[in-house]
Amino acid sequence: MVNKGETLGIVGESGCGKSVTALSVLRLIPEPGRIVSGHIWFKDRDVASYSREELREYRGNDVSMIFQDPMTSLNPVLRVGFQIKEAMVAHERFDNKTADERVVPMLQKVRISDPKERAKNYPHQFSGGMRQRAMIAMGLSNEPDLLIADEPTTALDVTVQAQIIELLRDLNRDMGTAVVLITHNLAVVASLCTRVIVMYAGRIVESGPTRQIFNSPQHPYTWSLLQSIPRIDSTQHDKLLTIAGLPPDLSNPPPGCLFHPRCRFRVDRCSKEEPPLEEVGPEQAARCWVLMKNALAGAEPVR
Amino acid sequence: MTRGTLIYIGQRLLLITLTALIVSSVVFIGVHQLPGNAFLTERRTNAAAQAALLHHYGLDLPWPVQYVNWLTGVLHGDLGESLVNRGVRITPLVLREAATSATLGFWAMVFTVTLGMSLGIVAAVKQNTLLDYVASFCAVIGYSMPSFVTATFLVLLTVTGFYAWTGGTIYENIGWGKPEQIPVPAISLGLLPSAIIFRLTRASMLEVIRQDYVRTAWAKGLRSRIVVIRHALRNALIPVVTILGPITTSVITGSIVIEYIFGIPGLGKEFINSIANRDYNIVIGVFTFYAILVGLANLLVDLVYPMIDPRIRY
Repeated sequence: MVNKGETLGIVGESGCGKSVTALSVLRLIPEPGRIVSGHIWFKDRDVASYSREELREYRGNDVSMIFQDPMTSLNPVLRVGFQIKEAMVAHERFDNKTADERVVPMLQKVRISDPKERAKNYPHQFSGGMRQRAMIAMGLSNEPDLLIADEPTTALDVTVQAQIIELLRDLNRDMGTAVVLITHNLAVVASLCTRVIVMYAGRIVESGPTRQIFNSPQHPYTWSLLQSIPRIDSTQHDKLLTIAGLPPDLSNPPPGCLFHPRCRFRVDRCSKEEPPLEEVGPEQAARCWVLMKNALAGAEPVR
Repeated sequence: MTRGTLIYIGQRLLLITLTALIVSSVVFIGVHQLPGNAFLTERRTNAAAQAALLHHYGLDLPWPVQYVNWLTGVLHGDLGESLVNRGVRITPLVLREAATSATLGFWAMVFTVTLGMSLGIVAAVKQNTLLDYVASFCAVIGYSMPSFVTATFLVLLTVTGFYAWTGGTIYENIGWGKPEQIPVPAISLGLLPSAIIFRLTRASMLEVIRQDYVRTAWAKGLRSRIVVIRHALRNALIPVVTILGPITTSVITGSIVIEYIFGIPGLGKEFINSIANRDYNIVIGVFTFYAILVGLANLLVDLVYPMIDPRIRY
């Protein structure tokens, strides 16, 4: 659930279903994957039931997406400007001439210097950061309601990461495009997103306003993730917390709560019944039988 | 065209010239190793007459001198005179026959590229469907059938078969000169290379379709035709263009057999006849001509690369 103009972060470790969720929203799941059940609601319509043509009109126009690796996400044999223009022409929102004229301002908007010359370049003449900017320009060229950014900074170096995140924040503010940011970098989420969803093994385990999640996480998984970040005020002898083990094999999931084999606060019930996603505070929900407020209050840690 | 490209073309043309020189000299030495000579088949057994003929054509001179004489002629655009059909100049003969062969080769290439690429694209887009399986199966057959076998089957089908089934109203009249006589030899010549192009296009498309930038193209909401042609095919084309050089070569050499089977008065037929007749000048001339043609075909392919992929520059 993303509101108009909102910034939502989706976090979780590798392989927990963040990207698949994002690709499902655009129905871009690679074969043999498919949507078995459930709905994708966009403005009161189910995307899962769209026809081919409806789907084509929806992609890149209502919702657009930028990907993890900007080095391979642009077509090497087409000019960058053309690839941006193409996205606009495809949806007939702009005629050929207007689309042409919009390319340079779009590149300017994502802060590419000398945009007029750069539009004529091929992707291999761009740096990684510039390519990601070009991807963002392409994604926003049709003024979509939602931009999904799937780990947009993972493949970039740290200084460029900060610039891209700042760019996304400014564009969100100026253009009113809602942003879903998928990442495993909690710092990025804290700086950009107003709301967070924490995923584990394909399920939402906790969601809520960013500040609340960071200050009082209720699910042990969220809590552990936050504890595993080194803090600038920690002393030399503090040991960094880790989450032992690996995410479960989803073709053979454990019974009960999917996190219980790795959870240090588990109780008997955890291995028998899967907890529902329940409200635990204002706008905050968690999928746990124990909840951190009880766990830290006195219950004995299991390990 | 940039200055770099021009220099590159210059270097390649120089190399082609060098290749032609080496090929012609090797062939020159080779044909003179063949037993007999152009005049033995004739009923002139008189030793004196033989010697006079050899002397007339300069064939009694040492090889190096003969080669230099031949080369001097070539540099003046003259490939010499036929030894068998006396008085026939080879240059116009070769040019006329080359035009015939080029017509056949052109249509064979059109057939090869159209069939191979279109089926390759469709099979890749519809991977693991019946269409893909049938096309891939046929390609294996096409791949393993030499052109002379294909030609024999096609002759059987279009001449004898059509004649029998239609009661003599439709049948192929083998030969050359009429437009309707082009398709059967062209298909015989182009079937094997089209199987090669099919397999390559299919494999290359399958790889490209899974690339991130193709996913980006889908995510932009482009029409499937645009995604397949503009985004996938353009990138998949590079290995396919690469193979066009060797395929041109195989069509050229394949035409030697095909022209012989269909009685087409082209360069290939001339080539075989001239070897049988020991018509030295024609053998060397045609051989050298082939060498230059293959060199030029490969150069052309290399010049097409930068048009497809902007990352390639000379």
